[in-house]
Amino acid sequence: MLLDARGVTKAFGSFKAVDAASVTLEQGDILGLIGPNGAGKSTFFNCLTGDLALTSGQVLFEDHDITELLPEARARLGLARTFQVPQTFEGMTVLENVMIGAFLRTPHRAEAEARARSVLERVGMMRLADAPARSLGTPGRKRLEIARALATEPKVLLLDEAMAGLTQREVQLAIDLVRDIHRSGITLVIVEHIMEVIMSLASRVMVFHQGKEIARGSPREVTSDPAVIAAYLGTRAAKAAAGHTPIELMGGPAT
Amino acid sequence: MRRTLWLLIALALVVAYPLVFTTPFQQRLGALVLLYAIAASAWNIVGGYAGQISVGHVVFFGSGAYAAMGAYAHFALSPLIGIPAGIVFAVLIAAVIGGPTLRLSGHYFSMATIAVAELARLIVTNTEYLGAAVGLSGPTVPRNVFDMSFISALPYYYLFLAILIITLGITWWMTSSRMGFYLRAIKDSERAARSLGAPASRTKLYAYMLSAGLTSVAGALYAMIFGFVDPESGLGILISVKILIMAALGGAGLLFGPFVGAAILVPLEEISNSLLGGKGAGLTFVVYGAIIVLIARFQPGGILALINRLWAKRRAKPTEESISKEASHAS
Amino acid sequence: MTFTLVQVIVGGLLLGAVYALFSSGLTLVWGMMNVVNFAHGDFVMLGMYVAFVVYTLLGGGPLIGAPLATLLLATLGVIVYFGLIRDIMKGPMLAQILGTFGLALLLRYSVFWWFGANFLSLPENLVGGTFDIFGIRIQASRLLAGVVALLVTFGLHLLLTRTTLGSRMLAVAEDATAAQLMGIRPDGMQAIAWAIAAGATGLAGALIATFFYIVPTVGETLGIVAFVTVSLGGFGSVPGALVAGLLIGVIESLSGYLIGAVYKDIVVYALFLGFLWFRPQGLMGKT
Repeated sequence: MLLDARGVTKAFGSFKAVDAASVTLEQGDILGLIGPNGAGKSTFFNCLTGDLALTSGQVLFEDHDITELLPEARARLGLARTFQVPQTFEGMTVLENVMIGAFLRTPHRAEAEARARSVLERVGMMRLADAPARSLGTPGRKRLEIARALATEPKVLLLDEAMAGLTQREVQLAIDLVRDIHRSGITLVIVEHIMEVIMSLASRVMVFHQGKEIARGSPREVTSDPAVIAAYLGTRAAKAAAGHTPIELMGGPAT
Repeated sequence: MRRTLWLLIALALVVAYPLVFTTPFQQRLGALVLLYAIAASAWNIVGGYAGQISVGHVVFFGSGAYAAMGAYAHFALSPLIGIPAGIVFAVLIAAVIGGPTLRLSGHYFSMATIAVAELARLIVTNTEYLGAAVGLSGPTVPRNVFDMSFISALPYYYLFLAILIITLGITWWMTSSRMGFYLRAIKDSERAARSLGAPASRTKLYAYMLSAGLTSVAGALYAMIFGFVDPESGLGILISVKILIMAALGGAGLLFGPFVGAAILVPLEEISNSLLGGKGAGLTFVVYGAIIVLIARFQPGGILALINRLWAKRRAKPTEESISKEASHAS
Repeated sequence: MTFTLVQVIVGGLLLGAVYALFSSGLTLVWGMMNVVNFAHGDFVMLGMYVAFVVYTLLGGGPLIGAPLATLLLATLGVIVYFGLIRDIMKGPMLAQILGTFGLALLLRYSVFWWFGANFLSLPENLVGGTFDIFGIRIQASRLLAGVVALLVTFGLHLLLTRTTLGSRMLAVAEDATAAQLMGIRPDGMQAIAWAIAAGATGLAGALIATFFYIVPTVGETLGIVAFVTVSLGGFGSVPGALVAGLLIGVIESLSGYLIGAVYKDIVVYALFLGFLWFRPQGLMGKT
């Protein structure tokens, strides 16, 4: 077993964003995490990467307990991630961005540069190597996120909404890239809003609602699950209502 | 290639300066520019490259200055002997402050550094061994050349130049190594850097310790050229401020930024002091304050960043367009 | 002995109330827009000099001096917000720290240049004399300062928690974009926050000036006191600042009394560092 999360709970004050979620990941899986907005899938994702500390539960990676490890230590073990909102290193070139990832496996600059170049080649960004990273648009930044993560030579790659904000054609290109990454032997966890992406990529799916896991199985199984449909429809109805009552937006401060 | 040529020309000018401008005032001014350039370049490692704004760097400056004077005053040794002791002390202090505070958000670090500097000043002011409010003096009559007590500013000038070159060399070496890459990444997005395996806290701490050690050398040199150190000149918060402002004015995070800043501000201060006398001290800092506010508001990258940008714009207009064009086609 | 000790503690509480007052301004701005004003202590210093000018040169009393200092500093706060803060807020942290630090130098040394570096102080009997309560001797000026500061800090807390203006400000603090969608101008609210924060320093300065030494560099000491208070009380929390301010006032007075006046600042700074070390989220903050 590659990754094993047991009873992961993350509470902010009295609010449990993730409540006793468990998941296992086998070599070669593509696990999809889905759920309506605020369902806790991103929080769960960040618990796996070490960006958030667990309130309770345990995370094992190749049978080692990594619950207490910092993100950088998890990266060293072979866990890489991308960010929903790209965290591009604005002051660097595209190549240098990828080199930061490559430096994890080599302290030498020339070696890191060579590895970064080959990753850029692989994701089709070679021509942009020397461009300043801040000149990239959303699609370029999303792809750069993946390139950087690949440069760390991960065993598991966690993609946080890597397709959000892309056009239809760009989504297709990104799906091809993910397939290619998977073929190279990397296990994937993807958080995604776009159902089409999950349907075409994921081997298994886990559905979150209000911090809890409500269904799991193959993409086909979960999309026909009544609990899943209710969760999505219910949220949509609430969302529509929220559009008309601005007070909803205020959340805490008014009370 | 071009860059190397410009560097050699600049170096030649700096080497020739005291031979062209030979009055004691001018030579001393040159030495002070180099001295502050050393301190500001050292600050630049943690403040500019790592983006951790230390406002208490005077602690390290002071440990160097007190170690150099202490070696003479208490052990009748050459002030040079104090340099390594000052470095060790400064690096230790940096480890103690940086360990806990570099993990926190940047404001906490800045505040903690101020508090440490003030704490150090208060403690030293009340410590007889360190001369309390009066401070410590160096040799009034030099016994030999190692007492580092010269009437002419010329020996200091070349000593400071050598140390500045070493400081910049270390900085350059750091920036082109993995550590330098990590620091720049951490400055842009610590979270992303960590996710890619950069040990953020440790890297920042190392930068802070390196910066502290080099700053303490600047402090020791300062004490040598002035021949004494007291709580105000060695540990006053204004020294920190000057160091920080020079780096920021010239360009924080750029190799030659602090030197440019020092070359502008030191003459400004010396000339205004000599023109206005005692009354000028206040006015100098009014001007300093105004300059900092203006940089922060209009040019947070510093003068050198502005020049670089204008330069790049003039030379590389078409490429920039083609890059953004290509970028929009990517993926 | 016991009476003296009680007297020291009461003195500390009264001074601490003034600390709480100006620190709540710092905590408000910090909590609301994540900007640390390094010139905050120098705002207090300006309030002291305004009061000094009113009391001595213009012959007015605290009744004129305090409101005038509040008003002038509040105006300065708004000017600083629109002239500087609004733009550097979005920039890199270096710009934020530099901007407010530069402002601190500008204010400090403008006053230095104008008034000189000498310590000034006001006549002791400016606000009545000294009187006894149950055998404890308290200066009227300290009592006035402490009580007014306490009331105003509490009022500030009520303003933030019980009024529409307060909830609008908190809405901006929470999410400026969402607040804007509801028709609240973040700009306006943030400017008001700066007016309140700076006004509080002006009032605190005018109050403290009646019994504290006045010197251009006093802002540095008071600024650090404010940082200690805020980091102790948790950033953004006015009640936290109140408790922490009182506590620091007492600790300062006690250590001044027990181990000597020169050491009281050392104790406060060491306390601050200790807190940063062991409990960076503050006394009342959550982990």
